[in-house]
Order: sequence, then structure tokens, then C-alpha cells
Amino acid sequence: MKKTAVKKSKSTKISKAKSKSVAKTKKTISRRTNVKSAAKLVKNKVVKPVHSSVETEVFPALAEGKQQVGESKFFRRPAGVQVQERDTYELPAEYGDTRIVIQVRDPYWIYSYWEINADKWAGLRQEFGDVLNSAKRMLRIYDITGVIFNGNNFNSFFDIEINDCASTWYINVGTPGRSYCVDIGLLLSDGKFITLARSNCVTTPLDGPSSITDEEWMVVEDDFNKLYGLSVGLGVGLSSADIKRKITQRLQSDISSGAISSFGSPVKKMDQKRGFWLVVNTELIVYGATEPDAKVTVQGRPIQLNKEGTFSLRFALPDGEQTIPVKAVSSDGGEKRVITPIVNKKTI
Amino acid sequence: MEKGYLCIVLHGHLPYVRHPEHEDFLEEDWLYEAITETYIPLINVFEKLIDDNIDFRITMGLSPTLITMLMDPLLQRRYLKHLESLIELATKEVERTQWQPEFHKLALMYLDKFKLTRHVFVDKYNRNIIQAFKNVQDAGKLEIMTCGATHGFFPLMHVCRESVRAQVRTAVDQYKNVFGRPPRGIWLPECGFNPGDDEVLKESGLRFFFVDSHGILHGSPRPKYGVFAPVYCKSGVACFGRDIESSKQVWSAVEGYPGDYNYREFYRDIGFELDYEYIKPYIHSDGIRVNTGMKYYKITGETDDKQAYVPETAMQKAADQAGNFMFNREKQVEALYDMLKKKPIIISPYDAELFGHWWYEGPDWLNFLMRKIACDQKTIKMITPSEYLEKYPSNQVITPSMSTWGYKGYNEVWLEGSNDWIYRHLHKASDRMSELVRSYPKAGGITLRALNQALRELLLAQSSDWAFIMKTGTHIPYAVKRTKDHLLRFNKLYHNIKSRNVNESWLNDLEYTDNIFPTIDYRFHS
Repeated sequence: MKKTAVKKSKSTKISKAKSKSVAKTKKTISRRTNVKSAAKLVKNKVVKPVHSSVETEVFPALAEGKQQVGESKFFRRPAGVQVQERDTYELPAEYGDTRIVIQVRDPYWIYSYWEINADKWAGLRQEFGDVLNSAKRMLRIYDITGVIFNGNNFNSFFDIEINDCASTWYINVGTPGRSYCVDIGLLLSDGKFITLARSNCVTTPLDGPSSITDEEWMVVEDDFNKLYGLSVGLGVGLSSADIKRKITQRLQSDISSGAISSFGSPVKKMDQKRGFWLVVNTELIVYGATEPDAKVTVQGRPIQLNKEGTFSLRFALPDGEQTIPVKAVSSDGGEKRVITPIVNKKTI
Repeated sequence: MEKGYLCIVLHGHLPYVRHPEHEDFLEEDWLYEAITETYIPLINVFEKLIDDNIDFRITMGLSPTLITMLMDPLLQRRYLKHLESLIELATKEVERTQWQPEFHKLALMYLDKFKLTRHVFVDKYNRNIIQAFKNVQDAGKLEIMTCGATHGFFPLMHVCRESVRAQVRTAVDQYKNVFGRPPRGIWLPECGFNPGDDEVLKESGLRFFFVDSHGILHGSPRPKYGVFAPVYCKSGVACFGRDIESSKQVWSAVEGYPGDYNYREFYRDIGFELDYEYIKPYIHSDGIRVNTGMKYYKITGETDDKQAYVPETAMQKAADQAGNFMFNREKQVEALYDMLKKKPIIISPYDAELFGHWWYEGPDWLNFLMRKIACDQKTIKMITPSEYLEKYPSNQVITPSMSTWGYKGYNEVWLEGSNDWIYRHLHKASDRMSELVRSYPKAGGITLRALNQALRELLLAQSSDWAFIMKTGTHIPYAVKRTKDHLLRFNKLYHNIKSRNVNESWLNDLEYTDNIFPTIDYRFHS
């Protein structure tokens, strides 16, 4: 309980970290709350813990800058500070629920997020007392493939120990085409597991062809492999192992969608490893004035005068000589003037 | 007699970006560029084909956000202003480049194109180019599909299927209003399929959708014909799978057609290159340099020393590549026909905006391809999904696998360190929306308006574009802001409705700002 109190009353910086001390050697990535570094952020402010419901307490100022794996820039604002902003600018960090949700990322990974509300903690504390202080926080991942899960009829499970302040976790489930359900819970020192919340159920996709075939639409193995190769643009004559490796490569190649949403970003920009550089261009401005109703040509082409009889022309100026006769004829045709600038440009 | 079919699919989509509160808004340019470079050039190609009596078939997804923007009077007015300014710039460029014949010719080309664009936009279609797509559909050459209402990413709405339903129902409702008949097919946003979503499509009367190749190949039981015939889901909705070979020829940055050295270089726009004072009136009003659409160089090679673009050479290249594409499809179809003892269907889907915007010669390539297929060969026939299903109603039943056409083939683009924080909030908002629908089965008056607006805000927050941009884009703060804005508006509406205290003037503002889907019904979310 002590640890939760810390979470609620301090501003904490969340960063990504790899957890190596996980059960059953599953690799995981989590966003972990680093309580120590948080102290720096609030050093100069007097922050009083607020004891109201969760939703009104913690507000993350979601960083608007670019985020990269390994340097997440999520911040939690000190509790109770800038409550004014809450409705207008920030989403609540939590909603006062006790809930865990899991989502499939790909055939091997699922993503989970959760929150446990204060009532739940209070109830547990009442029920279990001080035993909770030494309890480990765990994710328990049940393989429930082919069963309607009732809490006991799982095929197998494994646990991942998580730190107390994490609220999301990427779980490597490893095996494609299986169904999973996840509990967030507490593992007591006597081995008893207390479920805090149970997730929805998901099924990961297969990462290769199904082993199930259809009597009515039977296809022999060799033909299917051939067809599979053709379907993914690899041609015939590949073994199933080749194909599996190739399709993974294919999915990671650059023919995925990209243009749509990225209207402002490149689809095929080459890596610009440009060294020091310099560009120089020259332009020539030819301008002048005459009677507003005169007819003017520049290099033989008629031009439009401004109201007051002025004109200004701008030319990109290539190397070489440009002869630019400017001719004005009065509106009655009686008067004529020609001025001819000659410009010579040379680039060395 | 043909030995197989080719189904070219173009998916047109842009996120809903419309900011009446700003006179000049940077991200609105996405729409303006796409109208000038993609949508109107495609319309011109289709119309010319019809005029010339060339029989062709094409399938297009037009997302409801894109349709709304193309029909919005404010954006239409702003686009015209944008186009007028382009014409002015091109006119100046014609003069400025007089002593550089290779660029002068290009300036004239742009001026002509922009003027033609204005003619099509204003004189022919009275600013509503959706009418043009509708005409081509009514002529039987184009099949227009719908999409998720705001391009919400279905696989990550697994825990709130009501939201998938709302995305689909809202989209179908809009389609009926715009095209005067229900849609037969849907382009799933990002080709994202989660088994079971087909049930939702079926409820709304949709008959087919598309998945990436592994969606079918890894489906169960094994698909007898691979991606070369559609399958039925258990719901009876048909599912077509993307062919990789033909996709790769166009898509691939390395070996794909658009990378040809004779094609126009996208990254050398005069908006970034010309003298600042000169170009200033034609870039963003804050003085930020942006693309104008006028580009004078060809890709040339892997060099910074680019040479002038030569349209005639590029056109010849586009024609050659169209011929190459056709030849490869003929060979592919012949081989498959022999192997399958059945006429295969080759599904080649692309983002519409690839054609013209990124790949300047794309619409011309498509034009050449359609003409060659109609006149130069007999092995392949172009077809739409509806035509195919009518002809071949008997297909294998399988459950396609969860899949997307994003990088790595699954959900990772939209679910990773930069954007995973959004789902906690999106799912909560979905739950709250469902709760509201249950609490107010027959709302009226201002409550009804607030409920409808709440669903609009939720849908807008769900656009897959925001997560996509957070991962890859150059407009990250905008994507974060849009996600938060719509969620915060939704949350406030939720609390207001629950406490029976809706602030009417604020609601008026919201209805004016986020004015998408005028005929939405909050009960779509159930």
C-alpha cells in the first residue's frame, strides 16, 4: 500500500526499461516509472498529496515531441497542481477503474495496459493486511486456446514480475495462433496468487499456413507450397521453411502502405548523407516606367504595365549574354523609345 | 477468351483536417495537393477513357473523411483560392524562366495543368469532384467502396466492437446519402482485419472487403487457390487477398516503377528552392516553406546534381512500364490458369495518393495500362469485385487471419512506444459512448445533439492517421493534439450529458468546428 501512495502523491517520470528478472525467461519490455528521478522534477515545488479519487489526481502531460523507444518523454504532473488545465488540456492518467486490457501486436507479442483503483486496494488491504507489503506484482498469462476460460481450465500459464508503478507491458507470448487471457495480480510470499483484474481474451494470428485443410477444397501440400510461393511473389520451388522465412522478410520490406497517412512525410526519400554544400543562383530584375497608357515590349514580348506605368520583370539568369531590348510606344503610336541593356553572366 | 482477371484497387484517404478557426492551416494542404495531383488527374484519365470508348474497370475506396472534405464548401472555397495562387505563381514562373528553355517548358506545362484543373474543378463540377467519381461509377467503369468512417483501425478496437460498428454504420450511411445507393464493398482501414469484424460488415449489408496476402494465406482452413480467388468468411462476406508480385512492381521504393530516373523528383520543389522574398506569397502564411507542386527536376540518379525533367521521356517510360506490367500479368495469369485449372483474379491495391502526388506519372501509367489491356492482348480482363462475385458465386469458406498491410504485416505500426498511450483513452471513450447509448435509447433536443456530437468526436479521435503520424510523421504535435482535442471534447460531452447540463453555446461551436457526418445517429454505436 505504501508504494501506491508514493505513486499518487509524487510526480514521476516514466521511462522505458528492459526487465530481465522475469519469470520463465520471457523477454518483456515495459514502460517503468522511475520514482527516484521524479523527485528532481518537483524539488522546488511544495506538493501536497491529495486524497481524492484517482481520476482527479494524476495528469500526464503527454509529450508532444517525437518519442523514441528507450527515451519515452511521458511526465506525470504533481498531484493537484494545475487542476485548472485538466479539462482543457490534459487527459486523465487513469479513470478510477479496476481493469486490464490486452491487445494483439503481432503473432508473438501482446500489449497490456491496466489500472487498479483505490477501492480495490483498500479492500485488499482490509482482507490481507500487512502480507501485501511483501507481495510481488505479477502478470499471469494464461494460454486458453480452445477453451471457454472460467479461471481454472487454462492449458498453461506463465508469470511476469512487474514493477509496482508500471501500467503497461509488452508481453512476448512466443507462440502464434494461440488464445490468451491475462491477470494482473499479487503473488504472496506463500505462493498464493490474488487476481486484481482479469483481461479480455485475444487470439494471436498464425505466422504461417494453417495445418487445417478442407475436404471439399482439398489441396495437396506440394501444390499449396507452390501456390503460396506464387502468392507472395517468390515463385515456385521453395520449401515451406524457405517460404516462411521469406514471408517474414516480405512483411518487413518496403511495399507496405505508407503514402496515405504520411502525406507530409517521405515514401522514398533517399538517405541524405550530404556533406558540406553550397548552391548559388542568379536572377536579374529588369524594371522601369513610362506613360501608363504606353505599349511596352521586352525582348519582343508585350508586357502589362502597372497602373502608374511602372513594370518589373524577374528572370533567372543563365550563363552567357542576354540582350534585352525594352521598347515603349505611346498610345497614339507617335512616340517610340528603345533601351537595350546587355547582360553578360559568367560563372567561374 | 481471357484466362484470368485483374482488379486494380486504389484506396483514397486523407484524415479530416478542416480548421475554420484559422485562415491558413498547414495540414489542410494535404487535401489541396491531393486534389491537384491525384484526384483530378485520375478523373481526367477516367473521363478520357470513357470518351475514347476504352472499356476498363477500376475499384476505388473513398474514405468518408475524404468524401466529406471534398464536399465541404469551406474547403472547396479555400482550395480554389489555393489553386488561383498556384496559377499566379506558374504565370510568374513562365516569365522568370524565359532564358532557361528546359525549365520554361515545364513552367508552361504546370500553368496549363493548373488551368485545366481549375476548369475541371469549377466549370465542370462546380467544385464538387465527388460528382465526377459518381459519374464514372454510374457509367459502370468504377466501383466505389466505402471505408471506416474516420479510418479507425479495427484490429485495435477488439475490446469495443461497438466502435467498429459505429465506424461501419456511419460510413455506409454517408455512402447512401452521397452515391444514392448502398456500398457493396469496404476497404478496411490499413487493410486491418480481425476475425469477426466480417460479422459487423455483414450487418451493414457489405458484401466484400480486402486483406493483405497473409490474411488469406494464413487463414484456416488452407485456401485452395491462395490469393487468386476470393474466399467467404463464415458470415458469408467475401474476402479478396492482395497479390504481392504486382504490388511490388509499383510499390517498392527500390525496384518499383516510381523510382525510374526519368521520373519527376518529388523532393525538389520550388517552394523550398527559390528566393525567399519571391516565393513568400505562395508558401505558408507564417513564412514556412512548403511544397508548391512545381518541381523542375527528374530523379536523375543517386546524386544531388539533378537534371531538368523531360516530360516526353517520362511519358515514354510510363508507357513502357505499363506494357511491362501488362506482360507480367499475362505471364502470371497463364501460369496460374494452368496450375489452378481456374481463372485467377489478381488483386493489385495501392494508395490512390501514390498516383500523381508521390509518383507524378502514376495517372499516366494507369492510363496507358488501361488502354493496352483493352487493345493489345486477350489473356487478362479487368474486373471489379462485384462483377467477379456475380460470375463466380461459389467460393471456399475460411476464416482469414488477423492482418494489416502495415510494416511487418500486423498492428505494430499503430501499437508501439510512440502511440500506445492512446488506447487506454480511446477504449474508455468507447465504453462511455456505449454507456450513453444504453442510458439514452431515445434522446431528443439538446441531449440528442450532444450525443450525436459525442460520437463525432469519438470517431475523429479514432482515425488511424494520428497513431501513424506519431510513429512516422513529421507532424507529430498535430497528431497528438488532434487525439487529445477530440477525446477531451468527448469526455466533456459525456460528463455534460450525464449531469444533464449541456452548454449549448459550446455545443454550437463544436458542431460548427467538427461538422463531419451531419446525419450521424449516436445509436450507430451499439
